[in-house]
Amino acid sequence: MRAARIERVKRRVLRQAVAENLDVIRGVPPRAVRPGNRYVRIWLRRAPYLLVPLVIVAWLGRGGQAIPPVVEAGLAAQPRAVNAGQAGLPVLHETTTSVERVTSAAFPLAVRRVVLDAGHGGSDPGATAVSVTEKTITLDIGHRLRGLLEREGFEVITTRADDRTIALRDRARLANDSNSDIFVSIHVNAIVKHTASRGIETYYLGPTNDPSLTQLAAAENSVSGYSLGDMRKLLDGVYADARRDESHELATIVQRELFTSLRASDSGLENWGVKRAPFIVLVATDMPAVLAEVGCLSNEKEAAMLRRPEYRQKIAAALFDGIRAYASANDGPKTKGSPNHG
Amino acid sequence: MAEILHVGIDLGTSRSAISASNGERFVVDSFVGWPLDMVAKKVLKRDVLIGHEAVSNRTMLDLHRPLERGLLKEGSEKDVEAVRELLRHLLRLVGVNGKIDASNVRAVVGVPAAALRTNKQYLRNSMKGIVDSLLIVSEPFAVAYGLDALLHTMIIDIGAGTTDFCVMKGRYPTEEDQRTLMIAGDSIDTQLLKLIEERYPQANVTVFMVREWKEKHSFVGEPQAPVIVTAPVKGVPTELDITSDLRTACETILPPITETMIDLLARVEPEFQERVRTNIILSGGGGLIRGLSDALENALKGVGGGKVRYMEDPVFIGSDGGLALAIDAPEGDWEKLTA
Repeated sequence: MRAARIERVKRRVLRQAVAENLDVIRGVPPRAVRPGNRYVRIWLRRAPYLLVPLVIVAWLGRGGQAIPPVVEAGLAAQPRAVNAGQAGLPVLHETTTSVERVTSAAFPLAVRRVVLDAGHGGSDPGATAVSVTEKTITLDIGHRLRGLLEREGFEVITTRADDRTIALRDRARLANDSNSDIFVSIHVNAIVKHTASRGIETYYLGPTNDPSLTQLAAAENSVSGYSLGDMRKLLDGVYADARRDESHELATIVQRELFTSLRASDSGLENWGVKRAPFIVLVATDMPAVLAEVGCLSNEKEAAMLRRPEYRQKIAAALFDGIRAYASANDGPKTKGSPNHG
Repeated sequence: MAEILHVGIDLGTSRSAISASNGERFVVDSFVGWPLDMVAKKVLKRDVLIGHEAVSNRTMLDLHRPLERGLLKEGSEKDVEAVRELLRHLLRLVGVNGKIDASNVRAVVGVPAAALRTNKQYLRNSMKGIVDSLLIVSEPFAVAYGLDALLHTMIIDIGAGTTDFCVMKGRYPTEEDQRTLMIAGDSIDTQLLKLIEERYPQANVTVFMVREWKEKHSFVGEPQAPVIVTAPVKGVPTELDITSDLRTACETILPPITETMIDLLARVEPEFQERVRTNIILSGGGGLIRGLSDALENALKGVGGGKVRYMEDPVFIGSDGGLALAIDAPEGDWEKLTA
C-alpha cells in the first residue's frame, strides 16, 4: 500500500520535473503554484458555471432590482459610475470609469537600495586607539547594519565586505553604478588635541568655512586619487545640487537617532550636530549621501565602549532607525537626484 | 537496438559524482587544468588534466574550478570548456565513447536549488553534443528522490559552494519549498585559513591543505581530541594545534543553517510540521561534520523538537538519486528532452 503510494508520488514529481525542463527549453515563464488539493482545483474550475445561475436567481429574488455592489472589507468605496436607480437592467458588476489619482503611498519603496560605506580599510587604518582601529569598527558596524537593513527588506550594497583598501573614488563609483537610493558612510572621529571630547556628528555635502572641518575633509580625502582641479570641478558641479536638501534631511534624521540612542548609554556624549563638509564620498556620489562620525576613538572612555560588540550593535541599530525613518518619510515616488518634498 | 546508458550526475563546486545504469560510479574533484606552456605540456604529456591529477600538478597548469556556487560561471569561455571537459571525463569513466556512444546517453544533472532558469539553459547549451538527452533537477530533489523521501521531509544538502534546502511535499519542489545559502564548505575553508594565518603567521598554509584538514577532522561542539596538523613554518615541518580554529570555522555555518531550517519549517502547513521536523536529512560532504546533526536537533528543541539524520556515504547520494530519476523517466519524455 505504502509502496504503491510512493510510486504514485514518484510518477507525479517526475512528470512535474520533466514539465519544468520543457518550460525552460521553450522559454515559458514558471508556472504558478497550484493548490495542492485536486478537489479544490475542480471546484475552482466549476465556480463560474455555478456563480452565473446563483447571481440570476438572486436578481430574480429581488424583483429585478439591481444588486448593490459588494464593497470588500478594507477597501474604500469607489465612486459609482452607474446610477443604481435606473432599474430595468440587471447590474451584475459595477465598474468605475473615473480615474483616481494614485497616492504616493502606493509606492512605498522610494528608498530601496542603500549603499553602506565602512570607512577606511586595508592599508588605511583610519583613527587608531589601543588595540582597535577605525577600519575594524566601521566594518563591524557596517556588517551589523547590513543585517538589520536586509531583514527589513532593503537591498544593501557595501563598498567593502572585508579588510581591504578601497579608493574613495571607487567607493563613489560603486554607489553610482549600483543606482542606489542613499549612501551612508560610517566613520569614527579622533580629536587628538582634545582627548576629553566625545560626541556624535553627521555630515552632508556642502562648503564649510570651519578650518577644522576643512582639515578633517582634507585628511579623509587624502587617499582619494583626485587632483585639486578634479576636486574643484566636482565641487562646482554639486554644491548647487538639489540632492543637498535630501542629504540634509537624511543627515538630520541619522544624527537625531544616533545621538538619542547613544546618549542613553553615555550621559557625557555631546551632540555635535549636522554639518557640511566636502568629503570626497559625499562629493562624488549621485544620491543623497551622509557621513556619520559615530564615535570618538581619541577619548579613552569611548574607545573602550567602541570595543564592546553590544555598543557597536547599538550604533548599527541607531543608524538603521535613522535610515528607516528617512525611508518612511520619503516613501513617495521620486526621480533620482530630484528632491521629494510634497 | 543500441544500448542506452542512464546516468545521474551531481555537478558540484568541489567534487562531481556520476552513477551509471551499468553499475559504474565515480567521483572526481571539480578541477580542470591546461598546461601553462610547452614545457608543462611536455612534462605532463597531456592536453588537459582533470580532478585530483589537476590539483596535484596545479603549479604547471592554468587551473579552473568552473562551478562557482554550484553553477556554471557565465561569460567565461574557459570555464564553459572546463565544464565540458569535466563532463566528458565523467562520462568516459563510466564507459561513454568506449563501448557506449554519447548519442545513447540520457543524463540527469543536479544543480543548486536556487539555480535560475537562465543558469539551467546555459548548462543545457554547454552539454550539447556530450549527451543525447538531459534532465536538469534541483540537487536536493535528486537526493530526496533517490531516498524515496518525497513526502514530509526536509533535505539539507551541504556542499562546497552552496547549502541547499528542500522541503518535499509530494510534488516537484517550487521556489517556496527551496532555499540556497552561499555558506557551505568553501566558506568554512576561507574562515579556517584566515584563523590559522592569524594564529600562526609564520606558517605556510594553503586553502588546499586547509580543505584536507577540514574534511578529515571537521566538528562542531566539543572536540573529541585535539586536532594537530603539520605545516611548514619557515620551511620546517611543524605541528600546529588547530582545534579551536576548526571549531570556530565549522560553527560559522550553524546560525544561517539553523535559521533557514526553522524558517522553512514554519512555512510548512501546521498539521505536517511535526512530521517534517522528525524527517530532516543531512546530505553532501558538509553533512559529515561531526556533531552537526546534534547541533541542529538542539536548535529544533525550541520549536517542539525534531530528528536530524545524516547519510553515512554522502558522496553518491545525489548522483544515485539522479540515476533513479533517469531510469524512471519514460522513454517518451526523454525524446522531448534532447540536449
